[in-house]
Amino acid sequence: MIEFDRVSRRFGQQDALRNLNLQIDNGEMALLTGHSGAGKSTLLRLLLLLDRPTGGQILVDGQSTQQIQGNAVGHYRRRFGVVFQEHRLLFDRNVRDNISLPLEIAGFSPKDANRRVRAALDKVGLLSKERADPNGLSGGEQQRVAIARAVVARPEFLIADEPTGNLDPALSAEIMALFEAFNQVGVTVLVATHDASLIARSDHRLMTLAAGQFIQAEAA
Amino acid sequence: MTRAQKRDQARSAPWAAWRAQHRAAANNSWQKLAVQPVVTGVTWLVIAISLALPSTLLLTLDNLSAVTGGVDRPPQLSVLLTGESELPVAEELQRTLKAWLEIDDVVLLDRERALSQFIQQTDLAAVVRSLARNPLPHTLIVIPMSATSEVAMTELGQRVQTLSGIDRVIVDTRWVSRLETALQAGWRWVLALGTVMLMGAVLVLGNTLRLAIEARKDEILVVHLIGGSPAFARRPFLYLGLWYGVGGGLVAALLLMMMTWWMAGPVNALFLLYESPLRMRAPGAFYPVSLIVLGGSLGLLSARLAAERYFRQLVSQAAS
Repeated sequence: MIEFDRVSRRFGQQDALRNLNLQIDNGEMALLTGHSGAGKSTLLRLLLLLDRPTGGQILVDGQSTQQIQGNAVGHYRRRFGVVFQEHRLLFDRNVRDNISLPLEIAGFSPKDANRRVRAALDKVGLLSKERADPNGLSGGEQQRVAIARAVVARPEFLIADEPTGNLDPALSAEIMALFEAFNQVGVTVLVATHDASLIARSDHRLMTLAAGQFIQAEAA
Repeated sequence: MTRAQKRDQARSAPWAAWRAQHRAAANNSWQKLAVQPVVTGVTWLVIAISLALPSTLLLTLDNLSAVTGGVDRPPQLSVLLTGESELPVAEELQRTLKAWLEIDDVVLLDRERALSQFIQQTDLAAVVRSLARNPLPHTLIVIPMSATSEVAMTELGQRVQTLSGIDRVIVDTRWVSRLETALQAGWRWVLALGTVMLMGAVLVLGNTLRLAIEARKDEILVVHLIGGSPAFARRPFLYLGLWYGVGGGLVAALLLMMMTWWMAGPVNALFLLYESPLRMRAPGAFYPVSLIVLGGSLGLLSARLAAERYFRQLVSQAAS
């Protein structure tokens, strides 16, 4: 379970987040929305320990992230699969090598890694592109490769920051369907988006941030 | 069983995982070198020159040390008597000189023994037999007290020269002490030059690796974001530095062997002309192995320094 307990993040005189309370249960899927600068990215960065709160605390399965320091940060981040808006694929590696990177980091054997990469590619519908160069893939395919990389090590949490930002509505729906599929097998999913059509189609909990605070938190 | 436990169960044993990660990083880094043959070749050559130049000088000094090492007798005076001086005169002079306080010993080398030694060493028996008389004079080898300085040796030679019946006094082995002094200066020069060259190699390697890190900063950031440890992110660059260094060391060893082979002909001919039993020493195994180990160590050191410096920048970029 992810829990934000009166979390604040202040940059100089500016509050990016103010006394934010949030709870996402294990196995839940939630959408986080808000205008640019509302604090979505700050919230995700705090959750991934790319930044630290200036007030309050974040608890993941009851453990405060304040206690996580040094090498433990890497171990903590491996519990998360992360999908970025700009994919962040490595263009000097093929699709297979991009997806196997988290498995390499986690120390999986090449044989087991290969099996998992193929399974992940199968789930995102890109099994035939295993050896492809990411440069030759469409935007939607690149994002699916990024999703496969995020889920290949079977993380407990899947975090997506504007995953459909550069995609057309049909592709956006496909990507959301993938997240839902992973959520159905028990992965906790948090998607930050300001894609209104995506939000309108979703029946998951929606949290709206404005000026660093929630103005709406509703279950479908 | 939680997802994390299932995932941990599927992981390799830590040792096997560590080995697999190293193997992957080493292979990946080698492939990066192979796809840029010009950059790799130039870097190897720069490192090789930085290593080969001081090591060639070291090898030369080693050879010269062998020359002086073969002359381990103390400085001495060779006192050549006039041709007219007969053996009793030589014996009298020997006794006189032995009585001097600054002289430890005086050995008489009579002209007959000197001639037979000359015949043995030069193989010119036929020529010598054709001479009407023995052209060599009686010679006294004067060995001074052990702590005699070069100035004192010169003064002693001048004093000996004033005695009657003496043609010439040769202060021999003085060249040995001069050569040894020159060699000491040479060792320092090589040490200083070598240090500067090695620092240059570290800077060149550091810059090459900085460019490699810059070119792969996306990979470093992604590794950082998805939970890779700093050691994991650094590893490919350490291997890159190692391959650059080991490759440079190998090329340096080849250069050294080629230069030694090229120099050996004329140097050995010179030794032969002076009828010296010495021959130019080959680098053997010590020099090539040392160059490869030194190159590899420099590569690792440069990679470590470059990675430490630029990773910190990249990670702070990721956090901003």
